[in-house]
Amino acid sequence: WLPALQLVRRGSKAVTRHWKAMHFQRQKLMAVTEYVAPRPAIPPRCLAPRKETVEKEDGYRLLLQRQVQEVFRDSRMVAVCQYNSMPDEEVVLMRHYLRKHNIEVKFVLNEIVRPVLSQSKYKNLLPLFVARNILLVSPETKAKEMLRVLKGVPQVNLLGACIDDTILSRRGVENFAKLPSLEATQGQTVGALALLPSQTSSLLQRGPAHLTALLDQHLHRLRDGDTGGDTESTGGDTESPAKPSPAQSSEAH
Amino acid sequence: MASKISVVLRPVKSIVVRFCPFETNVESTRKFLQCINHKKIQATNRNCEVTADVRHDGSEPLVDVTFADGDRLIMKGANLTTVEMLTALGSRCNAKDVKEEEKSKKRSR
Repeated sequence: WLPALQLVRRGSKAVTRHWKAMHFQRQKLMAVTEYVAPRPAIPPRCLAPRKETVEKEDGYRLLLQRQVQEVFRDSRMVAVCQYNSMPDEEVVLMRHYLRKHNIEVKFVLNEIVRPVLSQSKYKNLLPLFVARNILLVSPETKAKEMLRVLKGVPQVNLLGACIDDTILSRRGVENFAKLPSLEATQGQTVGALALLPSQTSSLLQRGPAHLTALLDQHLHRLRDGDTGGDTESTGGDTESPAKPSPAQSSEAH
Repeated sequence: MASKISVVLRPVKSIVVRFCPFETNVESTRKFLQCINHKKIQATNRNCEVTADVRHDGSEPLVDVTFADGDRLIMKGANLTTVEMLTALGSRCNAKDVKEEEKSKKRSR
């Protein structure tokens, strides 16, 4: 007697290369033993919201903030520029040219600079720090050279600057660059101040100077008249009356 | 993301971005300027001049695009996002490209 179910011999094996449907009993077993995720007894939205852990004080962040504070303290000129992506060689070239004028290029992150600025006295620079920026810092105020270098780099746009604790816009920086140097302005001021007293002194000296000139001329004429008067007595007579009258009028004054 | 939007700048002649950095509504315009200056977008058209006009007169941020066939697109960025501005520019550039291709096909026929 052979068993009735001999389909196994004709059909495919258990492990096949094509997809084979599971046996019904196996299907039932798999359905019953499916994974059910454990649910908490109380749904989380009924509990009090967990306070997000505050970012612990990052030492690196503090270091960067301290660096920014130092930069603002030590440099006389701080220029804020927008940085659009530039090829690396151009970045290096720009850094090189600016270094020649003792201007340093610093890449800054807004989230570090914003808290530093809000606590310092540069609150009006806060709206500048949006999108990628770079700072050009320098202990000297060479605005003309900086503008010249930046003109050659189209992808860096000057937004504003803080020179000697004065916040300037782009136009302000251009006007500042057009100003003459400090020595020239000092010389101009001294010249302007000294102009009035020199005018007064020349005015005061005009009268006596005129008098001395006239007396000198009179003496010359008299001497000439004495030496040449014996030969030309008429010439001396015509000349000498002209001379005493101005001398008399100036003496009367 | 704003960097994923690619814009083909072939029909564009020049772009002028005007803004006042001390205002508070210039963030999207500045980001737009940054994206426009990206290598890939600049590589699509080397002849396109991108100028940034930085002022201090409290005026609104403005993007002025001049196309090669004389059209002008003016976008006032005070209440627009960067993505909106980029998609608007991109769609117009694509439309112009398609028109030019059709014209060149007609000429070749």
